[in-house]
Amino acid sequence: MKSKQKGKDFCMFGLPGMICFFAVVIVPFLYGVYLTLTDWDGVASTKNFIGFRNFVGVVKDSQFWSSLLLTFEYVIVVVLLVNVLAFAIAYLLTRGIKGQNFFRAGFFTPNLIGGIVLGYIWQFVFSRAFVSIGESTGWSLFGISWLSTPGKAFAALVLVTVWQLSGYMILIYVAGFMGLSEDVMEAASIDGASGWTQMTHIIMPLMMSSITICLFLTLSRAFMVYDVNLSLTAGGPYGTTEMAAMHVYEKAFTSRQFGVGQAEALILFIVVALISGLQVYFTKKQEVEA
Amino acid sequence: MKRKVSGKVIASALTTTLLVTALTGCTFGFASDPDDPNEVAKEVPIDTSVDSFQYDSSLAGTSITLLNSKAEIQVALEKMSAAYEEKSGVHVEVMPVTDGDSPYTKVVSLYNSGNPPTLAILDTTDVIALAEEKAADLSGEPWTAQAEEYLTEVNGKVYCFPLCIEGRGIIYNKAVIENALGRAFDPASVRTQDEFVALLEELKAAGISRPVSMAKEDWSLGAHHLQYIYELYDGTTPGGQQKIEEIKAGTLDLESYGRLQEFLNMFDILKAYNVAQGDPLGADYDEMAIDLADGKTAFWFNGNWAWPNLAEAGAEETDEYGFLPYFMNNDETDFANSQIQASPSKQVMVDRIVASDNQQAAAKEFLNWIVFSEIGQQMLVRTCNVIPPFHNNPYEPADPLSADIYARVQSGGAFNASVIVPNDHWAVLGAAMQKYLADRSDRSELIRTIEDYWAQQN
Repeated sequence: MKSKQKGKDFCMFGLPGMICFFAVVIVPFLYGVYLTLTDWDGVASTKNFIGFRNFVGVVKDSQFWSSLLLTFEYVIVVVLLVNVLAFAIAYLLTRGIKGQNFFRAGFFTPNLIGGIVLGYIWQFVFSRAFVSIGESTGWSLFGISWLSTPGKAFAALVLVTVWQLSGYMILIYVAGFMGLSEDVMEAASIDGASGWTQMTHIIMPLMMSSITICLFLTLSRAFMVYDVNLSLTAGGPYGTTEMAAMHVYEKAFTSRQFGVGQAEALILFIVVALISGLQVYFTKKQEVEA
Repeated sequence: MKRKVSGKVIASALTTTLLVTALTGCTFGFASDPDDPNEVAKEVPIDTSVDSFQYDSSLAGTSITLLNSKAEIQVALEKMSAAYEEKSGVHVEVMPVTDGDSPYTKVVSLYNSGNPPTLAILDTTDVIALAEEKAADLSGEPWTAQAEEYLTEVNGKVYCFPLCIEGRGIIYNKAVIENALGRAFDPASVRTQDEFVALLEELKAAGISRPVSMAKEDWSLGAHHLQYIYELYDGTTPGGQQKIEEIKAGTLDLESYGRLQEFLNMFDILKAYNVAQGDPLGADYDEMAIDLADGKTAFWFNGNWAWPNLAEAGAEETDEYGFLPYFMNNDETDFANSQIQASPSKQVMVDRIVASDNQQAAAKEFLNWIVFSEIGQQMLVRTCNVIPPFHNNPYEPADPLSADIYARVQSGGAFNASVIVPNDHWAVLGAAMQKYLADRSDRSELIRTIEDYWAQQN
């Protein structure tokens, strides 16, 4: 009787969501996997099974591997900078300074601007505003557009992403800091724990759940970066800042190698899923209860 | 207390930086989008009193869709479809391809969702990719007789309607040149590469130190510059296509291919006089139009599609702008030194998969209406402001760039070669050209990249 009721509840509450999830996530995903094994070009009415030939194409596509390597570099820098910066600012903004709510809102604002718009705004800043500053001050750092040399264009991408993502992470860290038990902190102070000891032995372990979420979000967002990449550098100069997601799109729709592009997307998915999964597993293990 | 204050100072400094950088974009402002479909152009009245076109009354009430990938004529197309609906009773819904969407991706996704447009304005390579699979055969249509030399065939059949002719070359601003030199300037007097360099030197001596603008965009470098090596082989499409086949097969040694070396010589000249020589990859497209209109430069390598940008930068239709050829050498008899390239660019295809017979018939009638009806003819030129590829269209485009191309097409001052290259040609080889433009690669590296690219296409 009880199990019958359970089944009814599941049908009422669980099933609709599950159907939607299957329809928009699982089925397209499986269909996408199937497409990697065919020669479909996105247009043809027939799909011929070609085995793993698309994956052979991926192995041969040296540009994909270099863009994946570049994505790794980007992810490492972005994840570190965003989290260190957001953690530090959140720490400052939970110290009870005057107007801290205003500052929290201020830091969150960039996150509300869409990636494409953000990219275009910053493109203007790097190529026009910075260059104007360079012209009037003679500073060589701003002498030419940051977007015209590979190293600086990469730095520009990192800078904009950090600027955009930090605000969101600050919110999560702020929530984490506010959840810290005053009793524990007070007990630590009474026991004579210095600021640094408090940070490493009490605050950090108690903040691990926030760190887990923030690392996961920054990792997945940085790996899948496309909009800022497209609107800020468009992969330039001469393809040196083309990240993996952008390369996948270009492969499928500009080079019109749909199968190879789809196979590359699958590989990118596996890489991101694996790394994010490992990160969540290891950081979860560090979490403690107060 | 001290810690509190320092925290406040740091937080304030960070927020100020954030706000300043956020507001920078607003303070400086952006040049308005040259392709803005809402831009109000000067209205040219259309005479609708005469219309000898024979409408098929059985099609009245049919509704068709038109996917438009030429954003600057969106409003004009809507007016055209309204005029056509008034006469024929056929409703044409004009759908724009939104910014950021590639037309091909858009049309493919519409096909895959089972809702393709009846008519689609696409680039030639896109139409060729879709032709046999999706497009209706237009070989027998009456308009084909009016645009014979501009038809694109796929295995002997015509699947697309050439909507307009576009041409490219070195745009000059006559007034700027004449003001600088203090004498009349006749563009026809420049007939060789050396004469062009002499003119540049003269302008330099007259105070325009770097008289040339060249875009850094990969589509400009990869498609508009580099494709000269194929198109200028003999100025015909089959000739260019033959060269491509030879490069692909590895039978043409690019190091010793004359047209490639000549092209790079000319490219080097443009590079040497480039106004953005200090940072060629930081050159701003909108600023180039302003520079040419204001007289900071005298030349801009581009096509007639640059007119809206020039007009926005202050150029008037009465100003004298025109094209110089891409000078390849010092042989006055070489056609490359006297003619510019002008070919159909945007093509219209009709869907045969989902569209009903009535819809296909209405779509075909709409295309014929553009070519044969007095109203359609006027609207193509005056409302859409494009160069018509049809012999029977008596109207001339108004802006000086299109007018120059129109005059050249009529007088034999233009060659029609438009080779079909893989869709990523502009992106991959455009990147290689950017590297060469910025002096971060040499000729042999560029040539190797071109050879490698074509070798992969086999």
